[in-house]
Amino acid sequence: MEKEQYQQLEQNVTPKPPYFKNVAKAFLVGGLICTIGQAVSLFYIIFFDFTEATAGNPTVSTMIFFAMILTGFGLYKKIGQIAGAGSAVPVTGFGNAVISAAIEHRSEGLVLGVGGNLFKLAGSVVLFGVVSAFFIALIKFILVSIGVVSW
Amino acid sequence: MKLLGIMLPLLVSLTLLSGCGEKEKFIVYGSPENEKEVETILKEEDYVDKTTVIQYDNSMLVATQIKPWHKWKKTKLEKKLQKKFDEKYPNKEVFVSADYKIFYEANKIKREQVEDNKLKDKIKKLKKLAKEET
Amino acid sequence: MVIVFQSKPSLIAAGVVAGPLEKRSIFSQHFDATYDDERWQMNTNEQGHRKMVEEACEFAMKKAGVKNTDIDYFMGGDLVNQMTPTNFAARDLDIPFIGLFSACATSISSVIVASLLTEAGASNLSLAGASSQHNAVERQFRYPINYGSQKPQTAQWTVTAAGYALIGKHHEEYPSIEAATVGKSVDYGMDDPFHMGAAMAPAAFQTIQSHLEQRNQKIYHYDLILTGDLGQLGLKLLKGMFVESGIKSEELQPLRDAGAEFYGQDETFQSGASGAGCSAAVFFSYVIQQMRAGTYKRVLLVATGALLSPLTFQQGETIPCTAHAIEITMK
Repeated sequence: MEKEQYQQLEQNVTPKPPYFKNVAKAFLVGGLICTIGQAVSLFYIIFFDFTEATAGNPTVSTMIFFAMILTGFGLYKKIGQIAGAGSAVPVTGFGNAVISAAIEHRSEGLVLGVGGNLFKLAGSVVLFGVVSAFFIALIKFILVSIGVVSW
Repeated sequence: MKLLGIMLPLLVSLTLLSGCGEKEKFIVYGSPENEKEVETILKEEDYVDKTTVIQYDNSMLVATQIKPWHKWKKTKLEKKLQKKFDEKYPNKEVFVSADYKIFYEANKIKREQVEDNKLKDKIKKLKKLAKEET
Repeated sequence: MVIVFQSKPSLIAAGVVAGPLEKRSIFSQHFDATYDDERWQMNTNEQGHRKMVEEACEFAMKKAGVKNTDIDYFMGGDLVNQMTPTNFAARDLDIPFIGLFSACATSISSVIVASLLTEAGASNLSLAGASSQHNAVERQFRYPINYGSQKPQTAQWTVTAAGYALIGKHHEEYPSIEAATVGKSVDYGMDDPFHMGAAMAPAAFQTIQSHLEQRNQKIYHYDLILTGDLGQLGLKLLKGMFVESGIKSEELQPLRDAGAEFYGQDETFQSGASGAGCSAAVFFSYVIQQMRAGTYKRVLLVATGALLSPLTFQQGETIPCTAHAIEITMK
């Protein structure tokens, strides 16, 4: 059998990923995570001296704490299998990437294992986050300089 | 069934969140001076959703909430409103904030009928909070 | 390419142990033991992996009533870098050792080498087999275990299991190895590491076809042709290839796949099981037991292996695959 012929057969047999179902599930789970985040944020605003502007930091830490608990008990990967991007995009997904790497490399010691591999997955998120933030800021700076928009 | 399991908590939390929102759009606490005038000023601005105004001595705290889609430009609108009040009442010390914390605390002041020195202290604290950066 | 063994070496005994999730396997009743701790009470996954290999070998030796000093060669491999779990198990077993790597096809390639040594008169008894441990393998080929990534329906689940068989001189009452085919490394341009079945199916097809051709046999000569870990989709593709080559689908009845059946219809495992331990566990427990019970008289075991590393697929290379086959008969 020829390569092309086989690739044709492979295309026919392999089921198409259920895109619509995946998007719907990602939307619902991602939305649920964000709703919980909003509730945590409101909790900090109402019961502590945080404003909308300053409540972000404690909210993020709390959400990452939740992600840590779920990852440690092996539940986050189950959520991830259902939700896909819905659980990967919020900050809990970032936390999961860092924490799962830390758990994984615990057996190689604290410095070379955990320290060296902590950002194995999340490292590229940090890098490209910083790089894209730089370019967005640069674009805005240019637009402001030539007077298209204001700060 | 699986989908329902995800949907249910989401719907419950949504109804809970929207359930506590339906109150008066405009509240004044303290001296009722200029009440109508302030209300018309705020009505002119279509992005303002709800406002609580606290008046005492010669000061005014305008705690406002901006409508969802306009929230993208929250700081800009806040500044715009501040400028408008400053022009309208040049002799008064007006402080405008669109932060939910300030709005919540302003309503609490009204609810608990805080007065005099306690009120001044509280407002001073709120102003300081609102200026805090992340 | 086909090797015909004149002396017909026999599979004297075999030991299969598996991890906690493998209790859910439809073959679990055939295993010698399943353990609740996938690390076998050791500190790391890799140490647990080693312990698992040792226990499988001990079961095989115990059944045959022999000690490690009675065994001439120990042959095997796994999927971890440099095959350290098997290498370290060899240290503790203290038997002359040849490490073999054909990815998940190691379960059969080791048996082929052991049979050749037996045929040549160099070995009276050899231990041959393969193993895989889910956590140790996944962390190497994919993501950390607890990372919440979404696996597609085509993905397969690496099993935690070790299977080792004792191969000795011909005995009437044991299943005997009549012939073997060593497969080529076949590449049909598949490059998705989450769709191994599609990459491996052509290798299995070529090996089975060339074995049948050179042995002058047809599929119906066999009671069972069992592939190692193609998964549900891979098996479908393999059957599809046979159909396109002009064989009627009714004739494909003996064609089955251990990986597709391993976890039953459980959807959490997507397309089925994979890993060197998958084929080893099923071949050296279920198949051997069924042959000794007389259910099967002639069986073709085909273990398939994807010869990739994380490096090669990140560099955009396609996945070459191999398949090795042994023909086992029972009087």
